[in-house]
Amino acid sequence: MLSGAFRERLAGAWVEIRENLGRSRLQTLGVVLGVASVLGGFSISDSQRRRSDERWVKLGGMDRLNVQPSEAIRDGQPTALQTANLGLRAEDADEGGSLDAKAVSGVSQQKMARARVRSPYADQDRQLTGIGGDYMALNGYTVEKGREFSAEDLENGRPVALLGAEAAATFFPTGDAVGQTIRLGEIPVVVVGTLAEKVFRWRDNQGNQFAWRNRIVAVPATLVARRMQGDRWQRVDRVAFRIRDLDVMKTFSEGLGALLKGNHRQQEDFRIDDIGARVRKRRSQGDVYNMIFMLSGVLSLIGGGMVNVNIQMATLKERVREVGVKMAIGASGREVFKEFMTEALLLTGLGALAGFAAGVAFSKIITSFLEIPLFMQPASFLWAFLLAAAFGFAFALYPAWKASRLSPMEALRYE
Amino acid sequence: MSSIIEARGLTKVFGSNGTAVHALCGIDLTVSAGEFVALVGPSGSGKSTLMAIIGCLDSPTKGSYAIDGTNVEGLSEAALARIRNEKVGFVFQNYNLLPKASIARNVELPLLYAGVGRKERRRRALELLERVGIPEKANVLPGVLSGGQCQRVAIARALANTPALLLADEPTGALDSKTGEEVLALFKELHRQGNSVMLVTHDAHIASLAERRVELRDGLIVSDVSEKRAA
Repeated sequence: MLSGAFRERLAGAWVEIRENLGRSRLQTLGVVLGVASVLGGFSISDSQRRRSDERWVKLGGMDRLNVQPSEAIRDGQPTALQTANLGLRAEDADEGGSLDAKAVSGVSQQKMARARVRSPYADQDRQLTGIGGDYMALNGYTVEKGREFSAEDLENGRPVALLGAEAAATFFPTGDAVGQTIRLGEIPVVVVGTLAEKVFRWRDNQGNQFAWRNRIVAVPATLVARRMQGDRWQRVDRVAFRIRDLDVMKTFSEGLGALLKGNHRQQEDFRIDDIGARVRKRRSQGDVYNMIFMLSGVLSLIGGGMVNVNIQMATLKERVREVGVKMAIGASGREVFKEFMTEALLLTGLGALAGFAAGVAFSKIITSFLEIPLFMQPASFLWAFLLAAAFGFAFALYPAWKASRLSPMEALRYE
Repeated sequence: MSSIIEARGLTKVFGSNGTAVHALCGIDLTVSAGEFVALVGPSGSGKSTLMAIIGCLDSPTKGSYAIDGTNVEGLSEAALARIRNEKVGFVFQNYNLLPKASIARNVELPLLYAGVGRKERRRRALELLERVGIPEKANVLPGVLSGGQCQRVAIARALANTPALLLADEPTGALDSKTGEEVLALFKELHRQGNSVMLVTHDAHIASLAERRVELRDGLIVSDVSEKRAA
């Protein structure tokens, strides 16, 4: 395509543009604004979406599939079948985890209890979190001092505890919690570790959204089941699977539903997170903005295109004479058409480049104002460019066609 | 000698039946290679229309026309453009230079459309500018040139593809008489070098420089006089 003739035409168009700088600037303005608007809009909405995704993950949202016993079995008068049923239990977690070992990168169990927690420094009624599997990792807890629960601790329900930052500070204000003994109800347990403080703020000046997580008093779920309020079926309050890929999660959740229903005598006495809704939410997040920005981009491209056509028409006299002269010295209508199109497309290309610069600047300013990190995708550039090229092409057609159809004699005489 | 222009029964009608204007009413004209012809006549005589047809800018309503041996009847718009490019060199009253292109580029343009490469174009353009007497102005814009210089550029451009016919429409119409004389002298010089020249004018003095005068009136040739010894 980059034949000699095309290169000549391109060079000619460049000369033409340089010689009519004022006109060319006006003509590109629409493209610049359109591209900047599409690119900037997409990038800002991408940045926002990415930020919000990150927060979701941080909040423990996006990559976890939770299963809980449904309300009917937790309160009220259960039916005979429900009573006979075993509910959500450790076995469900194990079987679910091996359902798709590749997709599942972690399984956790949780069994809650309440007890009076006593240390030499404090005596409070607290929620106890019985944990199992990969609970720590799935909930983003890390040990600050001491150690995590060992597999053996979890397996055998050893009397050990981990304290969240707030809990540690409450029960051991002197800071030497590890190795001490606390009493959970009547059970003495040894604190084997304390957890790092978890902090999450939407904005710097807002409160810590994770404050409640620092209140955790964690013990092995098996300990809760065996010595506090358990039963021999090892029922649990919540099972969570970590699955990174949202698309895989959807099929996994269906398979899991079928598996659990089979385990539960065909009773749907459990509740799995609605992944469809999550997918929709993720997809639709920012879609509205994308549409708006694309629309405003397209509108400015249309506006720019019209300005372009207008300028072409306003400079018609000059241009018609020019076309007449060119035709008189040997340019065919096709050649004139190609010259006009080349010029318009070159202008569009240059405008798009300027628009990229403007769009990047625009996105930087807005995202720094919103205090979110800028995230730009090649696809946004491509979109902006394709739109500009399409509109540049479409709006160049009419003047170019008009010019190519001029009769040389009339064009020369045009006043 | 071969004929450059071979026209038979050229008729040109503008407008439709009710308001039809007969600009040309059957013109027969033959011009041989190397002739210097003046096409004269008052305004409205049809000389501009005839010139347009001879220059392949327009086509006749009726009649046949061949330039340099090529019959133009039924040729496509692109083929006509090619003929204008290769066989005709136009010189206009108001120069018709592209105002925002350099002198050299103006002269190069016909070569560009003929598909001549960039370096060769530039070389030829400079050569032509030298030939018309303004070699030093290659890189300026037409706006800074005087009328006479502009017309020289236009002549250089017309000569770019060594056309069979140099076709000039009132080339001195916009010039003062002294400059006009210089431009006419250039035409005569080009004629002496073997170019076929056709001047369209209403000025009897200019016409007298040509060795052949064709006079038009109301779309018809009323006289066709040759002088073997012009001026």
